Amino acid sequence: MKKLALIPILAAALILAALPALAAPVVAMDPAPDGQPARNCLDCHHLPNLASNEGVVANQQLCLECHLKESCSREVKGTKVPLVVNMDLFATSRHRWVACLQCHGDVATSPHKSKVGAQCLSCHPIHGEAEVHSPHLSVDCAACHHKSPFVELDKKTGQVKLAHVNLEGKPIPLTEHGPTDLKQDQHCLRCHVTDNKVGAPEMVLPAKGMICFPCHTASFSIGSWWFGLALLIFLIGVVSGGLFYMRGRVAGVEGSLHDKVSRGSDQLWKAVFSRQSWELVKVLWFDVLWQRRVLKQSVRRWFFHSLIYLSILARMGLALFTWLVYELWPSSDLAMALMNKNQGFVAVTNDLLGLLILVGVVLAALQRWVFKGEQVVAEWQDNLALIILGLMIVLGFVAEGARLVVSQVPHGVAVYSFVAYPLSRLLAATGIDWPAVYGWLWYAHGLVAALFVAYLPFGKMRHMFTAPLSLIINRRLQ
Amino acid sequence: MSERELEKGQVERFSVLNRLLHVLVMVGFLGLGITGFSLFFGGAWWARAIAWCLGGAAGLAWTHRFLAVMTYAAVMAHLIWLLYYKLVLKGRLTGPGTMFPGWTDVKNVFAHLGWALDKGPMPRFDRFTWWEKMDYWAVLLGMHTMGITGLVLWFPEWFTQWLPGYFINLALLLHLFEAIIAVAIKFVVHPIVAHLRPEVWPADTSIFTGRMSHQRIQQGHPALWERIKPGEGEAGS
Repeated sequence: MKKLALIPILAAALILAALPALAAPVVAMDPAPDGQPARNCLDCHHLPNLASNEGVVANQQLCLECHLKESCSREVKGTKVPLVVNMDLFATSRHRWVACLQCHGDVATSPHKSKVGAQCLSCHPIHGEAEVHSPHLSVDCAACHHKSPFVELDKKTGQVKLAHVNLEGKPIPLTEHGPTDLKQDQHCLRCHVTDNKVGAPEMVLPAKGMICFPCHTASFSIGSWWFGLALLIFLIGVVSGGLFYMRGRVAGVEGSLHDKVSRGSDQLWKAVFSRQSWELVKVLWFDVLWQRRVLKQSVRRWFFHSLIYLSILARMGLALFTWLVYELWPSSDLAMALMNKNQGFVAVTNDLLGLLILVGVVLAALQRWVFKGEQVVAEWQDNLALIILGLMIVLGFVAEGARLVVSQVPHGVAVYSFVAYPLSRLLAATGIDWPAVYGWLWYAHGLVAALFVAYLPFGKMRHMFTAPLSLIINRRLQ
Repeated sequence: MSERELEKGQVERFSVLNRLLHVLVMVGFLGLGITGFSLFFGGAWWARAIAWCLGGAAGLAWTHRFLAVMTYAAVMAHLIWLLYYKLVLKGRLTGPGTMFPGWTDVKNVFAHLGWALDKGPMPRFDRFTWWEKMDYWAVLLGMHTMGITGLVLWFPEWFTQWLPGYFINLALLLHLFEAIIAVAIKFVVHPIVAHLRPEVWPADTSIFTGRMSHQRIQQGHPALWERIKPGEGEAGS
């Protein structure tokens, strides 16, 4: 019992002995700067409100206390790499009033080391088709936006990122916080040069313009200047076609164009806002979308026609859906997946639909030139339309195969492009310098596509607009 | 704005463009009112419910701006059409049959008040009555107030490059006050005076069908009827 009674006494003695130590001033791990009061734990170990001005300044001050000193550096493979932030550059940067922790979220840890780097995408959405095209989805932001011109391809992830070493393998400082001048195309030439190691074609290609929407995810921009030219010719064709329609009498009335447009639009307005509109919906659904009248004429013709037309329609649907999802939720997983041409679903769908178009074109060509069916009159305009369409698809598949070779897409991913992947193996075996050729292939496909679009309102493909119009007008006249 | 017969006994009151622009402004303005007040009174339970329907505050803001662009584009399309009407169609912008307010409208206001107090006959209105002109000009002018202050609130960084910062606060207040006035007029006064008058009860469909019958013109717009009466020459304006 006596021994047990000693325990509280000993404990009390220990606490008493420790009291002077507890009361002693806290010794800061990192001494405060001269003339400043001593530091408290919470001076460093607290998270300021980064959404407030004082929080941003407090956070910047804490980090810059070390990262402004000339001595701030680390050693990589025997080389001293400075970690100093250049305030002259940072002060002119767009991120001047952003806290360090806002982007470098994982550095406030022990050990003091970032594993993921600056997180641009936590504030900025990824670029869409208009600024850069989808192969750049596998390029880190810093690879273009950082001032360092050295980039590398991470073979494991397939990401192109900023290199931590220069061309001689020497570590380089990456604490540049100034803006890159994106107005000059110099930053494109980091990757898009001869013999680059990151899988970029040599040519800097334009973004896909709106004429590409029938088959590809694109943007409502012009893209290349001759995409714009094709669009212009297309619009002239559509307008002149519309004016041709307007040369007749509208609603039984002769008169100026203004009168005819007024009468015609009034008739349309009346039709849309009446019970007739249901009839119009039925015409659009059965006769325009599912081509009921062609099916009644000939199942074979309907089959060939649908292979081409429904496949293009489906690709356009996917392209417009992707555009819409990106515009509404640019940072969503769905947008990222849909915009990625190598993503399984997108790759399989696009290759399958492209193949179906090609099969349709080939069957139609066989019917026309080899078997010569009864009701087929092979006009040169039909032949030209078929040739342009077929050439466009073939060049598209070749360009896709070359893209898989050039951008070094891992085999396990590229295999989803089930038509272009075997083709890419063949192309790779030829030993041709595909990074140099790819740009020309892309332009060849684009040029044929531009020709296709420009020719639409003039050649046989005009029926795309006139057939639905005739169907609707005929229905109204009944 | 010449009056032509669309069918027998039916005169065109609004062209297809006017009908379309009215539908666009009507839908756009209804949506703008709902989303706008939900944005300003964001803490209220109904505002939170509406925000939830549209995908949160960001969805609410996106919808508000989308509708704003649509509505303002409709107003701009009308102004461009006015140019076309004046320069190509050589139409008149002033005088009877146009939206331009004149001395007759002021007299009509008092005559109309007098009729309401049983002190005289109903004034003989022309193509557009004084309250219809007020409705038109309220939108045409008010939309610019809303558009300009709305743009200041949408792009504050750009505007404060050359405007003092308190203009943002001013823009917010003006945007709110004008919104309250506009919603009060367009959601309450306009439907009542347009549709709930005895002559047109239960609804005046002319803005949607574009048509107005001879009978309705004789009753509600006798001065117009005097000018376009069939068999007495061409319509004016």
